[in-house]
Amino acid sequence: MTAVRTNTIEFRVPEAVNTISQRSLGIGLLFGVASLIFALVPATREQFFHSYLIGFMLWLGVALGSMAFVMIQHLTGGKWAMVIRRQLEAAMNTLPLMAVLFIPILAAGIPYLYNGNHEAVGGFSGWLHPDPADKHLVEMSKSYLTVSGYTGRAVIYFAIWLGLAFILSRWSGEQDHPPVRNLSPRFRLIAAPGIILYAFTISFAVIDWVMSIDPHWYSTIFGFIFIVGECLSAMCMMVIIERILSRYEPMASLLKPKEVHDHGKLMLTFVLLWAYFGFSQLLIIWAGNLPMEIRFFTRRLYSGWQVIALGLVIFHFAIPFLFLLSRPFKQNSRSLVRLAAWLLFMRFIDLFWYIEPNFHKALTFHWGYLLDLVVPIAIGGLWLALFFRNLRSRPLLPVYDLHAQEFLEYVGAAHD
Amino acid sequence: MAESLRMAKPTEVEIGEQKAPVIAPGHTFASITDKIASIVLRRPITNGWLFGFAICFLILQWFLLAVCWLFYKGVGVWGVNIPVGWGFAIVNFVWWIGIGHAGTLISAILLLLRQSWRNSINRFAEAMTLFAVACAGMFPLLHLGRPWLFYWLFPYPNTMTYWPQFRSPLVWDVFAVSTYLTISLVFWFIGLIPDLASMRDQTTNKALKFVYGSLAMGWRNSVRHWHRYETAYLLLAGLATPLVLSVHTVVSFDFSIGIVPGWHTTIFPPYFVAGAIYSGFAMVLVLAIPIRRFYDIKDFITDRHLENAAMVMLATGWIVAYGYAIEAFVNWYGGDPYETFLRWNRLHGPYALSYYLLLLTNIVVPQILWVKRIRTNSIWLFFVSLDVLVGMWLERFIIVVVSLTRDFVPSSFGQYYPTWNDWSILAGTLGFFAACMFLFLRLLPAVSISELKTLIPQAEVTVKHEEEVHS
Repeated sequence: MTAVRTNTIEFRVPEAVNTISQRSLGIGLLFGVASLIFALVPATREQFFHSYLIGFMLWLGVALGSMAFVMIQHLTGGKWAMVIRRQLEAAMNTLPLMAVLFIPILAAGIPYLYNGNHEAVGGFSGWLHPDPADKHLVEMSKSYLTVSGYTGRAVIYFAIWLGLAFILSRWSGEQDHPPVRNLSPRFRLIAAPGIILYAFTISFAVIDWVMSIDPHWYSTIFGFIFIVGECLSAMCMMVIIERILSRYEPMASLLKPKEVHDHGKLMLTFVLLWAYFGFSQLLIIWAGNLPMEIRFFTRRLYSGWQVIALGLVIFHFAIPFLFLLSRPFKQNSRSLVRLAAWLLFMRFIDLFWYIEPNFHKALTFHWGYLLDLVVPIAIGGLWLALFFRNLRSRPLLPVYDLHAQEFLEYVGAAHD
Repeated sequence: MAESLRMAKPTEVEIGEQKAPVIAPGHTFASITDKIASIVLRRPITNGWLFGFAICFLILQWFLLAVCWLFYKGVGVWGVNIPVGWGFAIVNFVWWIGIGHAGTLISAILLLLRQSWRNSINRFAEAMTLFAVACAGMFPLLHLGRPWLFYWLFPYPNTMTYWPQFRSPLVWDVFAVSTYLTISLVFWFIGLIPDLASMRDQTTNKALKFVYGSLAMGWRNSVRHWHRYETAYLLLAGLATPLVLSVHTVVSFDFSIGIVPGWHTTIFPPYFVAGAIYSGFAMVLVLAIPIRRFYDIKDFITDRHLENAAMVMLATGWIVAYGYAIEAFVNWYGGDPYETFLRWNRLHGPYALSYYLLLLTNIVVPQILWVKRIRTNSIWLFFVSLDVLVGMWLERFIIVVVSLTRDFVPSSFGQYYPTWNDWSILAGTLGFFAACMFLFLRLLPAVSISELKTLIPQAEVTVKHEEEVHS
């Protein structure tokens, strides 16, 4: 610990980020206004909320996945995490925005999402207005799947997430000031139960928000599928951001191929886990072939939707997997960033495949699918604007963290 | 902004938290070789070892008697009968296979994750894997009824023009487990080669020199040997890594592919894998704690190792708990009448006691691992690990027996009573496993000598060293 570098000015986020932030905000507002028009017109309002849920789940995934990585890094340590820690925290701190963005669903979206479907689209009754003959659903719609239950649970999920993010972020802020300290033991106190809380809350949240669209269908691995999806989205976003930042100081000298390689390995891990969980779900449900379970796949593997399913197998798994096997590919942030952007797009397609077939029996051209692109871009623009604002508010390294000092020593040694 | 522009004052640097080292200070390359090799080569056989081995060997003999009786009478001597066609055999199979997983995780995944603390526990954990897989493999063979025809499980061209039923997960098991055994064996042996050469060089006994020398396959410590060795080792680690997930995933398919309540649920693959690692690390601790005590190698298997293993147990234990919780919740949420009955049956049926015991041993008791003082106390850890091993056995018992005794049609409900032969074979595999471990400790270096050496400061490669080498 000879050379202590605590000059926070060295680690200031580059000015160029402001431009990106402003452009993101512009795009977010532009697409946001367009989305709002669709939301206000009664004829298109239903489709708006379908698209909104896709966009919301996508960007919530980036924020929550980042929070999961922040907690993982406090538990395991590692240079791969130190170099992107402030990025992860900035992404985690977009959770207040996501909480605000959930209000439209609570206020107006529920009837459009959980009302079930008319026969024309191979319908099923939703929990909001269950078929009286369906005794279990009638019972559920009085006990668990109620509007007040849905709202109350959402408040609890967000309270837990915001609470975790607030504490993690506040303590991290303490590491911008002297003295150099090791706060890891303190962080671990919150990170270890935090990870468990995250796993449980997100699992119940996706049951409420996504799985209950078709209230007859259930799958116990559903939460895990969303957890790995969120972690993958978050890591892809971090790879994109680190690539943008690495064109400027200080990231240019902080980011080494070894850490980029580690991020690539994490992408590979989560791509594999996503495929593993998805395949397990398919195999078990397909082999069991029970009416209440198989309906998920009979909707999504026929009538045109199989094209998307096959596309996911090839472009969300097979091709990224082959690229990510290569070590030089993973070490080069220039090549990795393209795949990261692609995978983030595939995350969107995955959510599209999970959510849209509930509302459309067959995949044919439908103007609403364009809205499925517009609304996530609107949310994404706002998300990115806040993300960059968060990022600018703190130095790019928590320099008064003992581990940051170790990291700087390592970077310096590799640099000399 | 002003805050970040401000130049920092010179600061005092706080010293990092005190963690136990992965290897006690003061060791040299020579002292490591000497200490580990001497356990095998110079240490006399103690009465304690003889006594322990004798007991295990006796249990093994009892096991052989039980197996003879089984072959003579047929599987009717077991408690299996309709509706429980799968009794202890599958429970024990899954339990043992699960235990093996920790060895592979330690040797392969932790290697790829650059977790150097694994270096002092990987050798005996891999041995544990091999013996555990051997124990596991016995059960399906014994269950075949005509075990001498086991090779019918493999797809080979035969005069009967018969093929195995490829859609059956039991056939997938054959491939998964035999691949697992092969890779684990090769991985273990490759890892042993440099140490076998050390043993060859250390021993003065000619016969031993010949045996270790043959097994070391002409290892001369040359740079080329090391280069090839490291490449092979890394490749095998890469090959073994998916096996950590795939083997227990296939085992979980044995159940989840069917539609029996309590078996057919999509969380099973990851939940089985987590449970496997959970019980595997418990077994690692049950072995490591006495080994380091009796062979006085606390310098190499330090409190840090125990604590790390305890943390892995805590993490995987929570995945298992998540599995229980989400299964129970979705079961209620889905409203399937058979699943609803299963939930009631687990809590109030004839095996309710084992279910409550399961929750106690697998979920409640291990929570004391949150306390650091317990994680670093070997006595506590030893008992928590035993508790987890019991819990994970109960988990498989409940999955198999509670679901099968009462599935769909009340007229086919039944009870399952294990017989003396069932218990004898379970105890017998424990005896076999322990006897193998006793022999292993006396015949091979229980801690990897060559990998341990990379942990001492003299072995650290700094940037300057690398530059010297390159220039």
